[in-house]
Amino acid sequence: MTTLTFQLPQAGLRRYGSLLSPLAWIALAFLAAVVLLALLAPVLAPFDPDYVDLNNVLAGPGAQHLLGTDALGRDLLSRLMHGGRTSLLAPAAVVLGSTALGLLLGLAAGWSGGWAGRILGRIFDLLFSFPALLVAMLAVALFGKGLVAPILAMTVAYVPYVARLTQSLAAAERARPYVQAYRVLGFRTPWVVLCRVVPNLLPVVGAQSTLNFGYVLADLAALSFIGLGVQPPTSDWGAMIEESRGALLGGHALPAFWPALAVVLVVVAVNVLGEELSERIGGGLR
Amino acid sequence: MSALLQITDFSLGLAGRKLLDGVTLEVDDGESVALVGESGSGKTLITRAALGLFPDRSQRSGTVSVRGLDTLTAGRRELLRLRREHASMIFQDPRAGINPVRTVGDFLTETLVRWHGLNRAEATAQAVEQLERLGLRRAEELVAQHPHQLSGGMLQRVMIAGALLGSPELLLCDEPTTALDVTTQAGIVALLREARQERGMGMLFVTHDLGLAASLCERVYVLRGGKVVEHGATRQVFLAPKEEYSRQLVEATPVIDPGAAPHAPELPEDAQPLVAVEGLGKHYGLRGGGTVTALEQATFRLPAGGSLGVVGESGSGKSTLARLLVGLETASEGTVQVEGSGRIGHRLRTAERRRLARDVQIVFQDPYLSLDPRIPVGQAVADVFRLHGKEGRRKAKESARELLGRVGIAAERLGDKPRMLSGGQRQRVALAKALAARPRLLVLDEATSALDVSVQAQVLELVEELREHLGLAILFVSHDLAVVSRMCSELLVMRQGRIVESGATARILADPENDYTRSLIGSYPRPLWETESLEAESAAP
Repeated sequence: MTTLTFQLPQAGLRRYGSLLSPLAWIALAFLAAVVLLALLAPVLAPFDPDYVDLNNVLAGPGAQHLLGTDALGRDLLSRLMHGGRTSLLAPAAVVLGSTALGLLLGLAAGWSGGWAGRILGRIFDLLFSFPALLVAMLAVALFGKGLVAPILAMTVAYVPYVARLTQSLAAAERARPYVQAYRVLGFRTPWVVLCRVVPNLLPVVGAQSTLNFGYVLADLAALSFIGLGVQPPTSDWGAMIEESRGALLGGHALPAFWPALAVVLVVVAVNVLGEELSERIGGGLR
Repeated sequence: MSALLQITDFSLGLAGRKLLDGVTLEVDDGESVALVGESGSGKTLITRAALGLFPDRSQRSGTVSVRGLDTLTAGRRELLRLRREHASMIFQDPRAGINPVRTVGDFLTETLVRWHGLNRAEATAQAVEQLERLGLRRAEELVAQHPHQLSGGMLQRVMIAGALLGSPELLLCDEPTTALDVTTQAGIVALLREARQERGMGMLFVTHDLGLAASLCERVYVLRGGKVVEHGATRQVFLAPKEEYSRQLVEATPVIDPGAAPHAPELPEDAQPLVAVEGLGKHYGLRGGGTVTALEQATFRLPAGGSLGVVGESGSGKSTLARLLVGLETASEGTVQVEGSGRIGHRLRTAERRRLARDVQIVFQDPYLSLDPRIPVGQAVADVFRLHGKEGRRKAKESARELLGRVGIAAERLGDKPRMLSGGQRQRVALAKALAARPRLLVLDEATSALDVSVQAQVLELVEELREHLGLAILFVSHDLAVVSRMCSELLVMRQGRIVESGATARILADPENDYTRSLIGSYPRPLWETESLEAESAAP
């Protein structure tokens, strides 16, 4: 897993204003389409995702079922669209939570400096050493299956990625003349930090969080795949792959292929976008 | 027979912008020529072109020939030969030009071993000899050291040694002393002058400092916006410039003149000082134990409306003093008393900080860093009015517009973010931001050092005007004696954390008591024609 390590460029951040590369545009368009399809699934999906049609199991792609059906005769396209809702929403929740929490803790650590900062830094390092998936499994073991426990656990597990980055950025920012100018002018420190410094850090932290989204998505899909995450019959990409294991062994690859493809494409698109954003920001350094 | 460096009608464009426009310039053997211009004038592009270094995807026309080789059309191998045998370059920042993980010896001997076919011992001997000739002591030990163990001035001497080792016929100097202290600069300039006379090299000396150019070069080219505005003998360009721009540049170049120092304002005998500093000191604890003393036993007074200059080289403690006065540092010993704010120098609470803010404000050196990159300049100033004037949103905006107008920022620039403004404009905004708190003392910490000379002159003029109008006291911290002496009636000279001399500016300039002050004044670059006439005088019986 990568953590972004760079300092803010000298004269502030480059804005996103300038055009993205063609590849990043494609990634952005793809993600937008996926999110739209998932959001509008109840309207757009051709079938009820949970409707079982035992007369039509493991059908190949055709006019009626565009992507075919699974071992219970459920329409794969509809399940994929509905599955996108949980598969995308859960990582979004994790990323939002870990970004907010990481920002707060990172600022506290970076701004205070001194021993408090060092202790917080050590705690982040400690959290770093637990793989997120493991923490999530532990949470499931303690609090039971379902999505709530893993989401909370992953949120905590991803906090150090944001917090460590924020800590180093905040410490650097604090020594900047413009921050010192605010101090000399008599502005209150909390106002300076929250209203002036945080917005300057957000683009960098946002790039890191974008990358995190991809990792969380894959982790949660894996969790559902091993049966600890989303529970049947709720559709979810990871759970869909798991449900298709039997069919896969029977020589029917498609029911597992579609959700797997969805996971891979979304993760790749998110990574392309995240890399682009971080390069754009880091580019100011060179 | 063409000149050593012959640039004819050289133009260079990049992404549709013309960066150099029909530049014609020549340097003969044994001649030293200055290329003077402000930032963005294209002077660095010209020196690089002489080595066949061009920006990627640039369009070029004309000729740049060194010893008859046109670098615009030359092949890779010819260019390598040119760089190894005919021309060398000295860069502004020696630390950026030397590989930090290899020794000084490696840096110096590399080309000798790989190109001139010497073995390591011979090459090292040559390097040592060259270093000694440049006045570096213990050269044998030096070659085994790494760049970080050397001071900036020593490292620049190493760079020069490296450039001279290949026995170049043409030496290109790109602002080689800009990053150095003035006493160190004087040494380097003397060195370059000797090396040139000894070897009969041609030298192209790039600088933004007209005074420095005059102290070293016989001829000068004045560059502006990629065009040569004027060229000729340095003395003639300096004393009787033909072009308006050259005249402005000469006028803007600060000179040390005891007669031009401002007079102290008349004060009643019993006037309370605005600032009273008593035995002030600042020590930093080092991680491995031990302390570094940044400032010790500073004692001075500054009356309301007074002007005090603080001069010193890097590490003299002048910036620490400035930061103590605005409450960015806490004192280790001694006291700072600001009338109205009481004693400061300890860790301040928010209310104390705010009260102090209304008495003392600071303008920092680098306007690129001292403004919040995200906040439009109008809002930045309005924020201060809202905080200190307790003004409403609309009133604050109005006040900001008025104040920015007074420092020369037009109303239509109020929505601009700092990056859309030039360096001079940014410094004006920084000034307005500080003044919005209506302080009685303005601390200027190298506030014009990052600006071009013509911009510096404008900003200094503005500060003087505002000072008169608002009755501000100023404390001007700078390495540049000429700038400070023009602005301040009183002077503190600092060295290694101590005040070595203080008094009226005119007196110190005319009759310095301290040896260090004397060397500081003596190091200031002087035009060749003045030093030559002085030498002639002293040579005569």
